[in-house]
Amino acid sequence: MSQNTVKQDAGQAVEPKFAVETRDLRFYYGEVQALNQITLQIPRNQVTAFIGPSGCGKSTLLRCFNRMNDVIENSRAIGEILIDGEDIYHPHVQIEELRKKVGMVFQKSNPFPMSIEENLTFGPRMRGIRDRGRLEQIVETSLRRADLWREVEDRLKQSALALSGGQQQRLCIARTLANEPDIVLMDEPASALDPISTAKIEETIFELKRDYTIVIVTHNMQQAARCSDRTAFFYLGELIEVDSTEQLFSRPEKKQTEDYITGKFG
Amino acid sequence: MRSSSAQMEIETPTAGGHGSGERRRLVAVSGRRAPLAGFWRQGLPAVWSSGFMLLCVLAMLAGMLVLTLVRGLGHFWPSAMLQIETTSGAFLGPVRDTDVGRDASEAASERLQLKIGNRDLYGLDFRWFDSAAIQSRSHPQDAVTVEREEFGNFHGYLREVRVGERVVAGDAAWQALDAEINAARELRHRGLELDGQYEKTRKPLSKLEQKLESAQRQARARDDEASARIPELRGAIATEKERLAPVLQEIAAQRDGLVAERLARDALFEAADGTTKQIQLDEIVRAYRPNSMSAPAKVGLYVARLWEFIFHEPRESNTEGGIFPALFGTVLMVLLMTIAVVPLGIVAALYLHEYAREGPVLRAVRLAVNNLAGVPSIVFGMFGLAFFVYGIGGFIDRTFYAEALPAPTFGTGGILWASLTLALLTLPVVVVATEEGLASVPSANREGALALGATKWQTLWNVVLPQAVPGILTGVILAISRAAGEVAPLMLTGVVKLAPSLPLDGVFPFAHLERKFMHLGFHIYDVSMQSPNVEAAKPMVYSTTLLLLLLVVALNTVAIVVRNRMRQRYRGAAI
Repeated sequence: MSQNTVKQDAGQAVEPKFAVETRDLRFYYGEVQALNQITLQIPRNQVTAFIGPSGCGKSTLLRCFNRMNDVIENSRAIGEILIDGEDIYHPHVQIEELRKKVGMVFQKSNPFPMSIEENLTFGPRMRGIRDRGRLEQIVETSLRRADLWREVEDRLKQSALALSGGQQQRLCIARTLANEPDIVLMDEPASALDPISTAKIEETIFELKRDYTIVIVTHNMQQAARCSDRTAFFYLGELIEVDSTEQLFSRPEKKQTEDYITGKFG
Repeated sequence: MRSSSAQMEIETPTAGGHGSGERRRLVAVSGRRAPLAGFWRQGLPAVWSSGFMLLCVLAMLAGMLVLTLVRGLGHFWPSAMLQIETTSGAFLGPVRDTDVGRDASEAASERLQLKIGNRDLYGLDFRWFDSAAIQSRSHPQDAVTVEREEFGNFHGYLREVRVGERVVAGDAAWQALDAEINAARELRHRGLELDGQYEKTRKPLSKLEQKLESAQRQARARDDEASARIPELRGAIATEKERLAPVLQEIAAQRDGLVAERLARDALFEAADGTTKQIQLDEIVRAYRPNSMSAPAKVGLYVARLWEFIFHEPRESNTEGGIFPALFGTVLMVLLMTIAVVPLGIVAALYLHEYAREGPVLRAVRLAVNNLAGVPSIVFGMFGLAFFVYGIGGFIDRTFYAEALPAPTFGTGGILWASLTLALLTLPVVVVATEEGLASVPSANREGALALGATKWQTLWNVVLPQAVPGILTGVILAISRAAGEVAPLMLTGVVKLAPSLPLDGVFPFAHLERKFMHLGFHIYDVSMQSPNVEAAKPMVYSTTLLLLLLVVALNTVAIVVRNRMRQRYRGAAI
């Protein structure tokens, strides 16, 4: 019922206030509850970081936003996730459209065993874009945005697997951007990378937030502090605290948050 | 906190190592029992015996290869001709075998086997002679081996060559022989061309006759309209006959002239025992004098015979000549099998691995598929005969070839049905290999594609399947190896001893997949077990076996090269 009203709002071109909004979200892997009563708003064109110890549900929540959890058997979500005001668990939602709109970068870079160019055009081609000129344009734009263009412009036909680890991860970011998403989800995008590559990725994230809403899961609190505007702290499947990054790291309201960011546990 | 605890973990074992009081010696003090204990503890007996077993396996493989290579390739070498005089007459031929037997007085005596040839004179090609009975041996320079279309080789001496009224004798005869053989064969070839021309010219008439025949058949079934057509057709045939008569007569006259010219060429040979034999020159495949041939000439002959073996048709109920139809049939059958099994296997594996829900049913299906691989192949042959040949083939005949019945078109064994039967036989291999290939694709790649908004099918088709190709090709390799060597099911579904024509030719529609075919594996069986002249066929068996082995190796090599290419493409740098 609430979806309907929200949908009407969207129809009247009243821009919903938040890019992502969850209401009382619970998530189960079979009998195991992974998320409990998450209510969270993620504003547009900002970087929101999810932090928390392993197994706290931050990745699960992230993977709910583009319904990547659907591939896990026996998993189910209860509650609402609104993206641009639309409930993404509504039965009529076209999941492919959702995933185009909400792109995702994984912890381990996963370029396809194809050429760099084919990797980038994969998403557009799957949606039926065949025009060569347009595809070339997409390749260049997305590579420039991911700050990879200068490094690979003369070897677009080469295998993506020949790139270095950091380049592969930026290629995956570019591949996500080639889909022209509104929201980019990043699941610990730099955890498998060396410090220099990590710095480059963070730089890229900083550049990207002008055009995209970014949600990033990270283990690394310095990283969250460096590159996010807002930070949400999760513990044991619950959202403990969410605030502006500065506020959360300097004056956390909850004891658990303080203990975590000062390194008393985790 | 985290980092400090990690440091502790690293330090702990080091500290323990330094702190231990009693140090164990690394160099063992040699005691009396120590070496033996080590011998058992390190499992040396197992290591040695497994090494020995491996050696046995390798030795058997090498033995098989060497045997087929030596026997298979040796056959084409022109061997020296030995003439012997015995109490029972003189004989000429290459030595085939020697052994030591016991004669009547129980004394060891050497025996030798000659290929005496001249089956039309002696009734058998091979004969054993006791050394004691041989009075003299010689290698006459002018002994001739004549390979003939019929009756096997003739061994003897050339006396004269006759071309019509012209007779050449002595040395000049040998000079002229080759040219005249070629001329005779050329005449035969032209005769065949004329036959073709005759058929072609007569075609309108033949068509009318066929129409008349079918009209008569229909008339017998009380079809009045057909009976009414008969007189008209008869008239048309008469006029057509009259029109074509002069042309046809001219062609026939030409052909008769050629035949006479050809038959006028023959040669007179004399066997070792003095019997003479007139041989038509167009019956001679080739004639040579192995005892006076130079080494390069022998090599040339060797190559020519090898070429004939691979690229010519068989003669003398498969014991001589080539095996090209069998080679062609095998390759075509394997290709058809591959074309049938690959899509079927991939689709089945895709469903099993990607779409079917895990559960008891899926497990049962998997078990069934895996067990299919263990079903005896003759059972597949029975199934192919019942389902493909009589079932589907019979249906096709009743539906599309009703006018030809009761003569079957598809309702009898043929290369298509044999290939499909073998496709069923090899299906489990491809399914299992494809499933393994699919399972080996990292899930990160699937997730990556799904996260880009690809549908499940798009992900499978564009990302998962290409990476599973090396696994699929492994299955194809195994399937090809199995199919190329399988004989039993083919015997029920369309392989024959001698196929009159290839399943592919220049006559529309070019591919005649309903035709029966020849197969190397069946050829080996047929020549070695069903041949009227087993002794003469022996070398053919080895050569054919060698060729079958080479064919399997070649087909596998192609598949392996393709697979390695694909693998290289997907390897890339690991992080």
